[in-house]
Amino acid sequence: MIRRQFLRNSLGTVAAAAGIHTLSSCGGSKSSGGRGQITFGSYADPALDTLKDVLLPEFEKATGIRTEWVEADFSGWLQKALNDGQTKAGAFDIYVMDDLWVPRFAGAGYLANLDELGFQIDQDFVPSALDLGYWPPKNGLRQPGIDARAKSTLYSLPLISDVQLLFYRHDIYSSGSPTTWDDVLRMARQKCDPSHRQYGWVSRGVKGNPIMNSFFVMLHDFGGGIFGENWKVVFNSPQAVEALEFYLSLLAYAPPGVAEFDSDQEGETLLQGNAFAATMWTGWCRQTDDPARSRVVNKISFDVPPKKVKQVAKLGLFMAGIASSAPNRAGALEFLKWFSSSATQLRFARAGGTPFKMSALKDDEARKGSRWLDATLKALTIGVPSPRTSDWSKVEDILGTELNRALLEKGKAKQHLDAAAAEATAFLKNAGYPVG
Amino acid sequence: MARTLGLGGDRRRNSLPWLLLAPTVLFVGAMTILPLGYSVVTSFQEFPLGQAPAFVGLQNYRNLINDANFLSSLETTLVFTIAATGLEFVLGLGLALLLKQEFPFQGIIRSSLIIPMAIAPVVVGIIWRLLYNADVGLFSFAAQALTGRSVSVLSSATMALPALILVDVWEWTPFMFLLLLAGIQSLPQEPFEAARVDGASAWNIFLHLTMPMLRPVIVVALLIRALDAFTVFDQVFVLTQGGPGTATEVATLMVYKTAFRFSQFGYAASMAVALLVLVMFFSAAITRAFRASV
Repeated sequence: MIRRQFLRNSLGTVAAAAGIHTLSSCGGSKSSGGRGQITFGSYADPALDTLKDVLLPEFEKATGIRTEWVEADFSGWLQKALNDGQTKAGAFDIYVMDDLWVPRFAGAGYLANLDELGFQIDQDFVPSALDLGYWPPKNGLRQPGIDARAKSTLYSLPLISDVQLLFYRHDIYSSGSPTTWDDVLRMARQKCDPSHRQYGWVSRGVKGNPIMNSFFVMLHDFGGGIFGENWKVVFNSPQAVEALEFYLSLLAYAPPGVAEFDSDQEGETLLQGNAFAATMWTGWCRQTDDPARSRVVNKISFDVPPKKVKQVAKLGLFMAGIASSAPNRAGALEFLKWFSSSATQLRFARAGGTPFKMSALKDDEARKGSRWLDATLKALTIGVPSPRTSDWSKVEDILGTELNRALLEKGKAKQHLDAAAAEATAFLKNAGYPVG
Repeated sequence: MARTLGLGGDRRRNSLPWLLLAPTVLFVGAMTILPLGYSVVTSFQEFPLGQAPAFVGLQNYRNLINDANFLSSLETTLVFTIAATGLEFVLGLGLALLLKQEFPFQGIIRSSLIIPMAIAPVVVGIIWRLLYNADVGLFSFAAQALTGRSVSVLSSATMALPALILVDVWEWTPFMFLLLLAGIQSLPQEPFEAARVDGASAWNIFLHLTMPMLRPVIVVALLIRALDAFTVFDQVFVLTQGGPGTATEVATLMVYKTAFRFSQFGYAASMAVALLVLVMFFSAAITRAFRASV
């Protein structure tokens, strides 16, 4: 990574942060011309560019409904969306959400019930992607206070398929994609050369959500998990300890200061040709082939993450839900129907977007332009989401803080996982979970 | 008749100031007291998922005093506030004393000194994130040149908080300098001239004349900076997110996370109210300490 690029990214962050201040003055004003207007509220992310630049103008032309796109940085938008949902201010028609926000937004009544609005699903949706839009969740544990017999209801739809893939340098992994985590470690040992800023692995290390995003896949691949029966915390199991020890051993071949790396530094390290492999979100794929952004154009390939005893990929889809206080609910519903139709999804995929319909993900023409769609579809089928509870962010913060400590101390995996498990258990018990 | 008219005139005269003040009072009430009152009410509530807010009495406050993370964040905030404000005061006073005399290019030098203060805190955070970067940062480069090893300032549990304090000192020492310089330049010159005629040393003049006469300005400067440092957020958010571990997790960041990441609005409100009480106590203590020493 060179200074200019670091600065460019940093300035991007500033611009996004500055956008927060404009949010409060935007939205809400509806034109009476045509069939009205729908206002999207979103976080800024390059993965949304195709939707904004290509698909929304098409939608406006096809329906006569004008669109307004209001965005901020990730945290800023979450704050605004929560405020809007809680106060029912009606500043937005459609909330763009990270999938882990769905329990919080749907559970708190901030989203309109799509089943009641008459939205019909079809068989072309990737099931794991569609499932993320339901509350209570279709499978697995249910949060205390949620009736165990309550019917799962559709509150949001996928907007962009985002899933963690293995990004690897095929000029270094010349015999093909590493299929196991041991392959990755072996290559890191062989080829890592810090004197030439060549590192075997790069990851996010910042406490909380960033490091958890990087560790999540490994935890599950080694046979570990987050919650067991009745929400019992199991992320300090022997399998989890083994996963963390492996993670730390792999990070010995990562760049210096990886404990302070977030998504931007992780991505830049790979794009500047300083790392051989990483698990990153699909949203980064296109940038690897952009000469203006990448020094390793056509040198990076994509696959599902390697395996140990299991093989999973982390789901992190962009979701779209209609605000329960949406001023133009009909227009918002029309957009969701239009965008999720297989025909639009196909156009979206061919224009460079990452769709959530099977037919679009399998389309040959789309795959020619976006060579990661095959890996994306495979990853979606083995995808695991964040636990479906509105309290996940707190548990993630607790575990992510201890992971960051373990990374700094380069060890004490069991001690740190036990500390996180004790704190998370106390929190869950206090919040009414039957953790025993 | 005349007496009645006089009384009416008195009433009008008496009520006129209140009428003129009313819009301002209403505005201030709406903008500050109402939100504050709402926060206090919220601090006695919890917001269960999908249910109406419920009053929980003092439960949030009881949880607060047993919350090791919150107490630790308060300790970090206090260390940050005392260290940053103290250093800014010493450096600001030193600069003010140094630059109070007329000298060539003083306008340019004074202007350049206040540049850091004019930069938005988020931008300051990003500038320093680059400087502290382990791979390409200036600090790491210097450490590499001196010791042959790079240094990850923000990944170090011992260096991260001092690094944040340094950022605050860099940004806000000019503010302290400006206030103290204005204070020094407004002091009457006669006592200083008399002291010099009587043969007082520069140190004695500083200790027994400058400092006591400057005390009101010092109180204001320390109060403003201490209150601002106590509520630091932007730089911490951009530079460390409270990490590594919880080494730089200041109280405001914890309030933010509790409200907007964990959706525990009632608990976050109780933290905010506790911070407000502490800030009030803090400012009263500083003011009282200076009054007592007069």
